[in-house]
Amino acid sequence: MRILSFIIIQLFIITISYGNESKTYEILKNLRCLVCQGQTISDSNSDFALTIKEVVTEKVNEGLSRKEIYYFLSDKYGDWILFNTPLKKNSYFLWFMPYILFILGGAILYIVIKKRTEKIK
Amino acid sequence: MLSSFGITVSTISLLLSLSLLYLSYYDLKLSNNKISKKIYKFAFSQILFTFLSFITLIIAYVISDFSLINVYENSHTTKPLFYKISGAWGNHEGSLLLWINILVLFSFLFLILNKDKNKNFKLYTIIFQNLLISSFLIFLLTNSNPFSLLYPTPTEGMGLNPILQDPALAIHPPLLYLGFVGSSIYFSIALAALITKVDSKSLALTIKPWVSVSWTFQTLGILVGSIWAYYELGWGGFWFWDPVENSSLMPWFLMTALLHSVLVLERRIGLYSWVIILSILTFTMSVVGTFLVRSGILNSVHTFANDPSRGLFILSFLALMVFSSIFIFFKHAPVENKNYKIFSKESFILINNWFMVFFLAVVLIGTLYPVFLDTLTGQKISVGPPYYNFILAPFLLPLLFLMTSGPKHKWISSNVIGIFNIALFTSIILFFLIFLSIKEGGLLLLLILLFSMYLITQTTFDFYETFKNKNINLSRIISHFGFGLLILSISLNQIFSVEKSFNVRLGDEKNFQNYTIKFNNLETFSKNNFKSVKGHFEIIDKKKITSQNLTPEIRVYNKPETITYEASINTKLFSDTYLTMSNISNTDVFNIKFQKKPFMNFIWFSVLLISFGGILQFSRFEKRA
Repeated sequence: MRILSFIIIQLFIITISYGNESKTYEILKNLRCLVCQGQTISDSNSDFALTIKEVVTEKVNEGLSRKEIYYFLSDKYGDWILFNTPLKKNSYFLWFMPYILFILGGAILYIVIKKRTEKIK
Repeated sequence: MLSSFGITVSTISLLLSLSLLYLSYYDLKLSNNKISKKIYKFAFSQILFTFLSFITLIIAYVISDFSLINVYENSHTTKPLFYKISGAWGNHEGSLLLWINILVLFSFLFLILNKDKNKNFKLYTIIFQNLLISSFLIFLLTNSNPFSLLYPTPTEGMGLNPILQDPALAIHPPLLYLGFVGSSIYFSIALAALITKVDSKSLALTIKPWVSVSWTFQTLGILVGSIWAYYELGWGGFWFWDPVENSSLMPWFLMTALLHSVLVLERRIGLYSWVIILSILTFTMSVVGTFLVRSGILNSVHTFANDPSRGLFILSFLALMVFSSIFIFFKHAPVENKNYKIFSKESFILINNWFMVFFLAVVLIGTLYPVFLDTLTGQKISVGPPYYNFILAPFLLPLLFLMTSGPKHKWISSNVIGIFNIALFTSIILFFLIFLSIKEGGLLLLLILLFSMYLITQTTFDFYETFKNKNINLSRIISHFGFGLLILSISLNQIFSVEKSFNVRLGDEKNFQNYTIKFNNLETFSKNNFKSVKGHFEIIDKKKITSQNLTPEIRVYNKPETITYEASINTKLFSDTYLTMSNISNTDVFNIKFQKKPFMNFIWFSVLLISFGGILQFSRFEKRA
């Protein structure tokens, strides 16, 4: 079971980063600069972005986890700041619909192909 | 003067378009089997007048005629000539005129290039195309007129946003529009085919070249946009899953699906309705994309100055278009003759379509869900790259695998052992060579590396085969190879990118990993339309004992007053060094961001390869026809 969960976690992690600094970078890349047009905090040079950069660096050095930092920020500024959309009641559709559609599409495809193959027999 | 001339010319092209509608409708009832000469003459004048209106606008920009509101708002006398010209389509009204020009161009080309086709089929296509043209012209003239007069005439304009003053961005809209709007012609063809009950083979042959052309331009347009974002926006990325980027990608998925299923329609009878649905959807998606960008309901880096009344027009147009398409589809729905054998290729192409529609759905949900949520509940959420990466990345594995083996397999006689061939073996070895130099990276990323390697080696072997067997579809091999290379380069880029930011003062020296960065000099100068602060940095790679000089800039443009951060990029074959600089207000400290971006050239090159496949596909068609 432990191995299985390890594999599943591995599957969904695109890059594993280590060290405080890369953790900070990763978090900054997932935050929206609220005063800009569709930029991340990491890419923005606005005063707002500079403040958030400092806050995040501080929190990382304090030893807070990613989750805690995201929670802290979304508590203060709302979920709008998180590019990393949290799984909540209001985002179930967003996170699960694609899989449902994929399966549905597959089912339709299967039926179409099967129907046509049967006709030949 | 130019204002009234422009308005007159565009009004004439609207009248010509309406006359074409009438003439084509009238011609339908005549029993001769050739389209009347009159229609050709009118179509020719239509393209002439439409081009003339666009040229008028460009001239107004070149001579800085500020009696046009549009020129006043988007141009300036000190702007270089090249950007005066490209400024003509760097705004909503001007780009709408460009959009109309392309609609007319495609309509005209269709008319003169399909001399031997069924008369009514052609006439209906012209009718649908001119319905689109006249609606957009009405929109232009009533709501978004680039020729509107401004009185009294100001002596100076407001200038174009400096980040848009860029060669890549000058050609990005025309390329993308050739893709977007190019899809209009197969929208019209599909509806015409339904009404006139054209057989599947001639439908396939008629739309195929248009699909290849629009797909190629769409691919190139997306590429140029990404390159622009990479060096101009200064964050070192090239794709952000920004809503506006997404709206160029959504029609691309459908075009890709169509490009594949048209092949089936041409060789085997089948998928007739499906191809028609895809054709209709592609153009619909293009209009949806335009609606999203122009109405301003999305928060994006691309937002033009926007205005809800535009959105309302496009939305009503869209609704009308969708409902009438659905109506026509069900009224004339073809009875599919299903009595034929499903071949291996066909199933795999259907699987391709399944994936493309799925990708489209994900991007569509990701783009629109936050908008709906906000409207319905007032809750604001953001959907960004993490969402798309998480959902889409796992599906790349089967996609890459199917792209490798799909085109080679036979449905019934396929065997599992056939997969374990020399290509797979080679790719596993290559994979391990790369694996040894990777220190981090999740399992999924590694699998994606392996599968893209497999696709690359397999298509390389296939390419070798084409020397022996001329019947193999070379364009497929090149595009699939390009896609494999794209995914491989993006993954390697993801793994090997280095990023580090510092706060520095003039004269500072910073060390990290095996790099030393020296801040040697700071220079200020002013140019015609901006002032600049330029930093001179030396970057020493201690491992390879090389040094390079980079000079990022902070520019303050005067018209309109904007600050831009110009990245300094040193491009080498395998890796880019990317440096940006920004000032921290009220101090002499600068924040610099140093990035190593490996394989960027490979990313651009692979997309070029993908679109090159599209060009080949087109020339193949020309040969056969």
